[in-house]
Amino acid sequence: MKFLPQDQLEAFLAHLAESAIVVAPQRDQDGVLFFQPWEAGAEVEFEQLLTRQSPKDYVFRQTETYLKFGYQMKGKAAAEEEEVGGKKSKDEPAAEEAPPAEGEEPAHEVLQVETVEDAPEQVIFGLRPCDARGYYQMDQVFGGYGGFYYDPYYMAKREATTLVALTCAQPWSTCFCTAVYGSPSGTDGVDLLLTGIEGGFTAEALTERGENLLGFGGFADVGTGQADAAQTVKDEAFAAIDPPFEIEGVPQGLRDNFEDPAWHDLQMRCISCGTCTYVCPNCYCFNITDEMVEKSGERVRTWDNCFNPGYTLETSGHNPREQKFARFRNRFSHKFWYYPEKYDSLLCSGCGRCIRYCPTKIDLREVIRTLGRPHAAEAAPAEDSEAAGVHAQTGEDL
Amino acid sequence: MSPANGNYEEVEQRIRELARTALEEGRVDYFIGWTAGYNESEVIPGFVRSADRVDALVWNPLAAYNLTAFLKRKMPDPPQAKIGLAVKGCDSRTLVSLLQEELVDRERLYVVGVPCEGIVNRRAVSKVFANEVVKIEVEDDTISVTNQDGETKQLAREEYLLDHCRSCKYPNPRYFDDLAGEAVTEPEDQAPMWREIEEFEALPEAEKDRLMAEAFEKCIRCYACINACPVCYCWDNCVCRARQPKLVSQKVNAQENLMFQMVHMFHVAGRCPSCGNCDRACPVEIPLYLLHRKMNKELKEMLDFEPGIDLEQKPVFQTFDVNDPFGQH
Repeated sequence: MKFLPQDQLEAFLAHLAESAIVVAPQRDQDGVLFFQPWEAGAEVEFEQLLTRQSPKDYVFRQTETYLKFGYQMKGKAAAEEEEVGGKKSKDEPAAEEAPPAEGEEPAHEVLQVETVEDAPEQVIFGLRPCDARGYYQMDQVFGGYGGFYYDPYYMAKREATTLVALTCAQPWSTCFCTAVYGSPSGTDGVDLLLTGIEGGFTAEALTERGENLLGFGGFADVGTGQADAAQTVKDEAFAAIDPPFEIEGVPQGLRDNFEDPAWHDLQMRCISCGTCTYVCPNCYCFNITDEMVEKSGERVRTWDNCFNPGYTLETSGHNPREQKFARFRNRFSHKFWYYPEKYDSLLCSGCGRCIRYCPTKIDLREVIRTLGRPHAAEAAPAEDSEAAGVHAQTGEDL
Repeated sequence: MSPANGNYEEVEQRIRELARTALEEGRVDYFIGWTAGYNESEVIPGFVRSADRVDALVWNPLAAYNLTAFLKRKMPDPPQAKIGLAVKGCDSRTLVSLLQEELVDRERLYVVGVPCEGIVNRRAVSKVFANEVVKIEVEDDTISVTNQDGETKQLAREEYLLDHCRSCKYPNPRYFDDLAGEAVTEPEDQAPMWREIEEFEALPEAEKDRLMAEAFEKCIRCYACINACPVCYCWDNCVCRARQPKLVSQKVNAQENLMFQMVHMFHVAGRCPSCGNCDRACPVEIPLYLLHRKMNKELKEMLDFEPGIDLEQKPVFQTFDVNDPFGQH
């Protein structure tokens, strides 16, 4: 463990920026906190706990260009077109074209494809352990876990990325990382963990990448009591989060409650937008489209989400999740049931952004509390959802 | 906007009574009002199905959400539900727009009008502290904001109302079955109607471009704005999400995002009274409200038209009148 004095912070950022793009939380013109590329002199904000979006976009790009393509004329016709400046009339009878001479290539179109490689070295600085855990969980999806799919686009960026996380000193009321196996000082995916104490930060390297960062000259050895002070910050933050549900049994509960009418009640105020999934550090669904203008274009991967009507629309026109409640049910079931079955982990790191930035404040904690209890484990019969009355209300009223 | 006369509790009680009666009499399957959110700084839409739960309904200056968004085409669940709901002045205007186009069946609707004295700009208020705001209270002309450390700041209510509340001409609902409480005094001298738009219009072109690019660069195309919009009702068939035909690019960048927002702005023109639901739904705080205000300014100046004022009126782009003021220019 090392100690980074507060007055060395900017020098450390500058040091990192010498060999990588540094991405850190900064306020935009409207005062909203986002991860943005840092330049010397820019003010980095660590006081506010969470940025509006997780930094996942820096690895799992919202718009990822796979390749650029276009058609080009080759052979005789192409040469002629060039001669007349490409203004050859379409109405011109084809018969006037002389046949290609011996050995000459006949006119034909050639598809040209250019791959895009864009994976610069980057340091994501000051992200919270829940955001780092988001990468850790996406790594399983894109990194070939269990012999499944390996995604070269995601992985190239991920492998060029160093995560410098910051322990949460003061969790928000919507934080619930401790309920999903996380912690305000969690280290999943983290290369270097900073913990704010008086006068600066303690720094713990978790990986070789993190170890290398400690080579910066501004680090001091930890002084007397500093390690203890950091531990106190961690313990207090951990204790500050009251786990809103018991995670054991939740996958089974969701399975047992798949047809429960409470799904309908809880989704009433959902407006089926994609905010929860796009602010989420874990959600990874995407779509691929060819964006063409005339004869050239790009093949792009863009974020998709399970509330999008096209998400499950089949070519026949059938949509197995035409109704909003089915889309709603999928999001929670994916995070707490389907994903855990496949990857032996959860697809939620408890940041609570989906609750806070949802236009109608759909509360994941309430959904899991209500529908994540296995039937066999019920001491008393589940409350009759018809009689539950107000379903939009959070808390114990349900 | 007139100062608060502090009758929130009375109005709240009245909303509960009206909702209770409607539920008891079976006139509605459920009642949509406002209820407490995850902490005391949030008020969210609340669906009440039984009369014994109406006490969860609240009314205070944090009740921003325009509940008529739950009535638009394909949104009601189930589609044939008999719905009761509460509307403020601006909310009632989007309801009038929907009724003008016969997109909502009046027979299946029970509307409780709520006279409104302005809604707090929660977004601005929550920025007075860097850490979490856990409580917002309004009393008379003061907003008290409390953070997670228990520190409280007092703010002048007038300065932290939503922009459109400050220039609101219609605080009383334009359409309702029952009114919850006394109508409030319609303001005579409100803030200049188009102040924020005129300020923008006065900027040099390059500066406008820069501000627009900055704003729309942020858009994450989550479509919260259009799904929260009461009069944006294409639902699953929005052209901006469609693959067939593919008219709007799926690429997310300032230019494409602006294109998407322009589609929204033009599509709701004449039906959108700029209630601001899109703006407040935006998770990245793009001032979308201003786009719609701009359109409303043009409609007022060119065609002397205000959306959602009168049930008998037709949305402006569904009528043609050779004598309209614009035609005479």
